Amino acid sequence: MVATSHDVMPDIELYQPTDEANALALANTLGTDGWLLGGGQDTYGWLKDRNKTPAAMIELTQVDAWKGIKETADGVEIGAVTTITEIATNPLIQSKFALLSTAAGRVASPQIRNVGTLGGNLNQDARCWYYRRGLDCYRAGGNICYADSPEGLNREHALFGASRCVAVSPSDTAPALVALDATMVVSSVSGQRLIAAADFFVGPARDITSMTVLNEGEILTAVRIPNTWANAEFYFEKVADRNVWDFALVNVAAAFKVSGGAITDARIVCGAVECTPRRLDAVEDAIRGQQRSAELAEQVAAIASDGARPLNYNHFKVPLMENLVKRAIRG
Amino acid sequence: MGEIVRYKYDVWGEEVILGVSWDLLWVIAVAVLILLAAHAIIMAALANKKMDKPSGEGRRVVRHEIIDRLFHWVMAASILMLILTGIAPIVGLRIAWLNLHWISGLLLTFVVIFHIIRSLFWQDFKSILLGPRDFGEPFNSAKKPGKYSFEQKGMHWAVTVVVLAVIVTGLLMFLQIDSPFWDRTNSMAESQLGLIFLLHGLSTLALVALASTHIYFALRPEKLFYTRSMISGWISEDEMTANHDTNRWAPKEAD
Repeated sequence: MVATSHDVMPDIELYQPTDEANALALANTLGTDGWLLGGGQDTYGWLKDRNKTPAAMIELTQVDAWKGIKETADGVEIGAVTTITEIATNPLIQSKFALLSTAAGRVASPQIRNVGTLGGNLNQDARCWYYRRGLDCYRAGGNICYADSPEGLNREHALFGASRCVAVSPSDTAPALVALDATMVVSSVSGQRLIAAADFFVGPARDITSMTVLNEGEILTAVRIPNTWANAEFYFEKVADRNVWDFALVNVAAAFKVSGGAITDARIVCGAVECTPRRLDAVEDAIRGQQRSAELAEQVAAIASDGARPLNYNHFKVPLMENLVKRAIRG
Repeated sequence: MGEIVRYKYDVWGEEVILGVSWDLLWVIAVAVLILLAAHAIIMAALANKKMDKPSGEGRRVVRHEIIDRLFHWVMAASILMLILTGIAPIVGLRIAWLNLHWISGLLLTFVVIFHIIRSLFWQDFKSILLGPRDFGEPFNSAKKPGKYSFEQKGMHWAVTVVVLAVIVTGLLMFLQIDSPFWDRTNSMAESQLGLIFLLHGLSTLALVALASTHIYFALRPEKLFYTRSMISGWISEDEMTANHDTNRWAPKEAD
């Protein structure tokens, strides 16, 4: 059904569990009827427009066990309902994993970062405006993509990995976490599973109605970042139409280990070019062992966009992506 | 539960067909399971009254040429792959199914075209035609069929109609996705698209029922010699005379 805008929330049950066991039990009992609520910045638009109509919301931000940032033997663990502002300003993250704090500091606007959570930012749904408008597109369970049609407006959409749906991953923190080799901690009543950040996100070829591997009853409860990339040389840049309160047209998160000017290892991940954060393995391979320089950046930047299939209105993303990768490599 | 067709609102807010209701998949699965189980029970109860099983030993006659057997198994593999990959997202299996699905669909299309041409010009096409005489066959044990029995002909033509429907609607749907051969235009009217999805879904459901039934009968003890012939190419002369009218089907002797 096409959206009807409302100023108020629909009548909906609200559960506010304060401990882990209760939250997991509720998620298990309510299944798809229970909407998992972090800071609500992705949620309220859906519900006010009546484009998603769950019977209940499970607010996760009251569960203390899923809040905060702590140092572990092997790195850092961040609770999934930690706010984006806390991550952007945390001294530990800033000192060891500045890539993530910088990315977090570029999310939306200060007001949204104050209430938005890491879990919410990672699990947010696609920002394709046809989908958000409530049209019955592929992602909504339909049989057509409105964005990739002759008159479709697809300036923000995918260059890679489109399979019927051409929406992109909208998160700024996701590419940073993939670059840092983070692990997602996913909990349910039947236990816990650990998923590499790179495997946490799924494209439309595998699941066209979901952007993550989370199953019914599962909750992302924490993110673990190993020390593998601690204090490496980082680069994050986001290009959007506005400097605040906007989603990336393309962003890049990169980490480099440099010794004597030479790149010994690297991670380069782009967001907003595919439905999942896109790791640029070919570029990483091309720069490994090379001197980090403007010349090297110039030589390999074009590799970043190999295989891109631009849509009618997003050809500009190809040079944008190449330039961001170039800037990341030259530092 | 209970609906056959699913509807949606198109971009103009008009209600149009979205496709078949996949609840029917479970209805079909249960119905087929019950019918085949009932058949198996009845056959087991009648087993004592059956005559002796014809021997598979002795002289052999050719039932299927190698090229026809190859066609059958390629078709079977592609249909099974189409069903598995088509059903995967419906039952919630997260696999990259679409490429496997259209590649299998193209393979099926090519082998079916091959089969149509071969059957029209190189095979005895009349042997598979259903005539008035065939309809009396199940009720008169003295009436034996030529190369194919009434049931086999019925299955063949049911599969023909359903597979052609799946292929035609599938090819139209294939045009709606990006492929190595073209970029989709995505310009078909949503009402037409919905109708194609509906027909593809209905023919898929029929194909699931027919494929299950076919596999069941292929594994029935009294029919196993037909399955063997689809692998090795031959049946024994004893099996032929017990089940077929040699005046209507005179195959050559197998090597």
